[in-house]
Parts: sequence; structure tokens; C-alpha cells
Amino acid sequence: MTQTEGESGAPDLATAPAAAMAPVRRERRTLGSYLFMPTFLALVLIGLYLYVQSQELDSIEQRSLNASNVGKAIWEHVQLAAVSTFFVILIAVPLGVFLTRPFTRSFRGVLLTIANIGQAVPTIGVFALFAVAFLFLGFPAAIVGLVAYAVLPVLRNTMVGLEQVDENILEAGRGMGISKFGVLTRIELPLAVPIILAGVRTALIINVGAATLAAYINAGGLGRILIAGLSTNRLTVQIVGAVLTAVLALLIDYLAGIAEDVLRPKGL
Amino acid sequence: MNVRTGKASVVAVGGVLALLLSACGDDAGSGGGGGGGEGGAELEGAELTVGAKEFAESKILAQITAQALENAGATVDDASLSGSATVREALEAGEIDMYWEYTGTGWVNILGNTTTDLPEDLFAAVAEADAENDIAWLPAAPMNDTYRIAVTTEFAEENSLSTMSDAAEYIADNPDDGTVCAASEFIQRDDGLPGLQKAYSFEFSEVVELDLGLVYTQVGDTCNFAEVFSTDGRILANELTVLEDDLEFFVDYNAALTLRQETLDEFPAIAEIMAPISEALTDEEITAMNAAVDVDGETEEDVAAQWLEDNGFLG
Repeated sequence: MTQTEGESGAPDLATAPAAAMAPVRRERRTLGSYLFMPTFLALVLIGLYLYVQSQELDSIEQRSLNASNVGKAIWEHVQLAAVSTFFVILIAVPLGVFLTRPFTRSFRGVLLTIANIGQAVPTIGVFALFAVAFLFLGFPAAIVGLVAYAVLPVLRNTMVGLEQVDENILEAGRGMGISKFGVLTRIELPLAVPIILAGVRTALIINVGAATLAAYINAGGLGRILIAGLSTNRLTVQIVGAVLTAVLALLIDYLAGIAEDVLRPKGL
Repeated sequence: MNVRTGKASVVAVGGVLALLLSACGDDAGSGGGGGGGEGGAELEGAELTVGAKEFAESKILAQITAQALENAGATVDDASLSGSATVREALEAGEIDMYWEYTGTGWVNILGNTTTDLPEDLFAAVAEADAENDIAWLPAAPMNDTYRIAVTTEFAEENSLSTMSDAAEYIADNPDDGTVCAASEFIQRDDGLPGLQKAYSFEFSEVVELDLGLVYTQVGDTCNFAEVFSTDGRILANELTVLEDDLEFFVDYNAALTLRQETLDEFPAIAEIMAPISEALTDEEITAMNAAVDVDGETEEDVAAQWLEDNGFLG
């Protein structure tokens, strides 16, 4: 039976658990791999631009596909994704830290269930509920809906990231006289950063996708273009809305990947 | 292939039928049947299929038609009454025999015209053009399911608004109160918001883009004005007042029964049975029926039966 080869020929038994604990561990990227994605996305955008230029746009298409409208939609979309992810981090990381402290064991399940419900309920349903039940619309409502939807991956990864830190290292830290808070900030959190960042990256991508629904509650974004194309049966408009959303998602994923590389503590 | 003249019902020779139908010139006599039921037997032996689109109004109209035809002795297959998006294709392919279409949809979606070249008499133009496709349009009902701007009845009374011109004037005087809730399609279409503002020379102060389902609930809260469909049951449920389109900007979407010409030739009685029914279908009548289905949760079948009964069409 062939087992998975361990790195640098180390014995299988020793590497297997280590590999399981650090799923995001990977080689630093080369310059070429850094340039690939932006080049690809630029080509896609140029292709899209040329395609739209080659079309004869009727008045409905022109209403959606003009520079100021498209620019506004992209900016709204970036704001939706960025602000919602900011609040996701603000809520989920401290909550994750809190829920991994031993004294919270008794109600850990309840809070995780709530976070699970947040992700299980469709975003459009949350939006409709806010609008109908509380007359809560627009950008703030969209942010609340998106945050509820994306809290879970960051919360989960924060908890997993903290729990995978080797108990012996913590023991050693405490032995050196570091306070409980010091152990958290100087040992546990830095060691959990790669996994937390992977969760943040997931949340960002979820938010870029789900933010297209914000157009249904007057919060704008690229969904406005997409929905305009769908509701008026204009294929060109649909393509522009869809491609721009995809490009934005890939670009943000790419930037988040770089942030992961940069923010990962040295030596991990 | 649904224009079948009754196979099983060739019970009696068409003597009775010939008497009954002498006025109609029906050539479906081969189907013959024994005597009329409660309602008459103009369509005795006819087997017909009525289609509908996938929303309540279309299904109510289909039910009214099916029940009226059954009352006249026809057998109507109810399978297609539940509605489908491809009802026009089904009609052309012969899978159904008839359904209610809207004049505006006929002009734009079926005949491929734009809303900038609207004829004076939309129904006549559509009926004439569609005849080339061998589709016959029976005279349109007065009901007009089209775009309208609505306000809460309270707001309409406070500011004495009854027409779009009143609204344009009100918004010019109160520029901050001219918020409108609308769905994407209305905001984008030339015969929607952009054209409306041009026709009445005014501009809403803010456009709140929402899913259409949310628009009805937000009037009076998020916005003073809202895009509605003029015969929507939620107009009654949310106590809204529909503003009259006094400059006749919006395209007419009068409902008319459409059927293949061969079906009409075979059963000309359909036109006579449906004429008074179609005439009675006003905005008020259909809006009330839509509300009964969409708001109160009654079935299309019951609502249609009740309406036919109340208006004496089953006599």
C-alpha cells in the first residue's frame, strides 16, 4: 500500500497529523503565479469591453451599460462586500476566541447553532423578512443580511485554528510565565492566523456572490445590472453583470490570497 | 391535436343539435349528443383544452372560460389550467386550444414590435397581424392589466391625487416627497419609468429599486408612489389607489381570448358564449377576483364559478 509521501522523506507517522492540522500550509508563490490572475482578469475585461462595443445597444441596454452606471454598480458592490466582511471579522473572530475558552463550553453549541442558522437561511429570505416585517431596506439591511450569512466560516475557522494549536506549546508558554491573555495573543492567535484568514477569504467570496441579491432591496451593486438584464431579457446586459461579478470575485480572492501570504506569521 | 369531436359521445343523431345550433352554423355537428344540460348545448360533444399563464389572473380567466364552455356542453380538459410559461407555443403547436393573452404582450413579445410605434387601436392591429399566424383574437375585455402608479388611499385623499397629472404636479411642488418604489423591469423599460417621466415632464425625487413583491408592502412607508399592475389583488389588500393615466402613456394590456382559427371555425359558438363574459370583465371585477385568490387564498376554480354564477352566465 502506498501511503502519501511525507515532505523531505520524513516518516509517515510523524507528518500525517501535522498535515491534517495545517490545511492552508503551502509554498510561497513565484512571481509568475502572482501575475497570472491579474493578467487573465484583464484579458477577460478587455474581451468583455470589445464584445459590448461590437453590439448595437438599444435604449434599454444603454440605460444599464454606460460607464457611470457600471462604475457605480461596481463601487456599490465592493462596498457591500468589504463592509460586510469587515463586520463579519469584527463579530466572528472575537466570538471564536470566546467560544474556545473552557468556561464557555456549556453554551458553545447554542451559539454555533445560531451561526449555522444564519448560513442555512437563504439571504434573499432574510432580505425579504427585513423588508416586510421591519421595513428595513437598503445598504444597512443588506449588510446585516450578508453578515448573518458569512459569519459561520470565519467563526468555525477561528475556533478550529485555535483548537489545533498544540497543547504542549501552550503549556510551554505558561511555564515561561506568560499570562493567559499573553498566551492567547502571542501564541494561540498567531498560530491560528492562516486558518482564520482562510475563513475570511471564504466569507469575502460568499459576500461578493450574495451581494448580487442586494439589488432587490435597493442596495445596488452588480446585481442591479444582472437583474435589469434578466427582467428585460437583454442578454448583453446579463453577460456584463455576470462577468463583472465573477471577475470581482476572482480579483478579491486573488487579493485575499496575497493578504494571506503576507499576514501569515513568519516560520509557518 | 386537441380539437377532437367527441368519439364516445356519438350517442344520438344530431337532430336535436341541428335545431339548437341552427343559429350558430356550427359544423361540429358530427359530434352530436343527446340534449342540452342546464346551460344549453351549443358545444355539445366538443372536447377543448384551455391553457393559462402561470399567475392567478390568467388562471382565473382560464377557469371562467372552461366553466362557461362546459356549461355550453363542451368537455374541457383541466390538465392545462394550472398554467405554464410556454402557453403561446402550446397554442401554436395545438397542445391547447385557447388561452387569454394581453394586447400589449401580443404587440411586443409575440409580434416583435416596440412600444415606440404603438398603433391607435392596439387590439385591432394585434388581431389583424396575428391572423397571419392563424391565431384569432376574440374581442378584448375592458380589463387592462398594465403598469400604473399607485399611492395609498390615505395619501391620495390628503393630497387630492387621482390622475398622473395630479401626481406630476404634486411632485413638482414637493420635490422631497416624490419617492417611488419600483422593480427593475419597470425602471429599465422605455414604456416604464423613463418614458413616464418624459410623458408627464416630471421626475421622481428618488427611485427605490425593490423586488416587485416588496413594492406593494412598501408604499406609504419607504415611498409615497409605487409601480403596480393595475389589476393586482394586492391593490385592494394594501388599500392603494391607482392613479389614472390621463395622458394615456402606458401601453394597454387588455385581455382577450386567443385561439387557433381552425378551432374557431369548427366551434364558432365559442365567440358567442365568450362575448358577454369578456365584456363584463372590468378592472374592478378582475381585481376583486385576483384578491380573492392571491390575498384570501381561494382557488381560481371557486372564484371563477362564483363570478359566473353572480353575473348570471351559467343561467
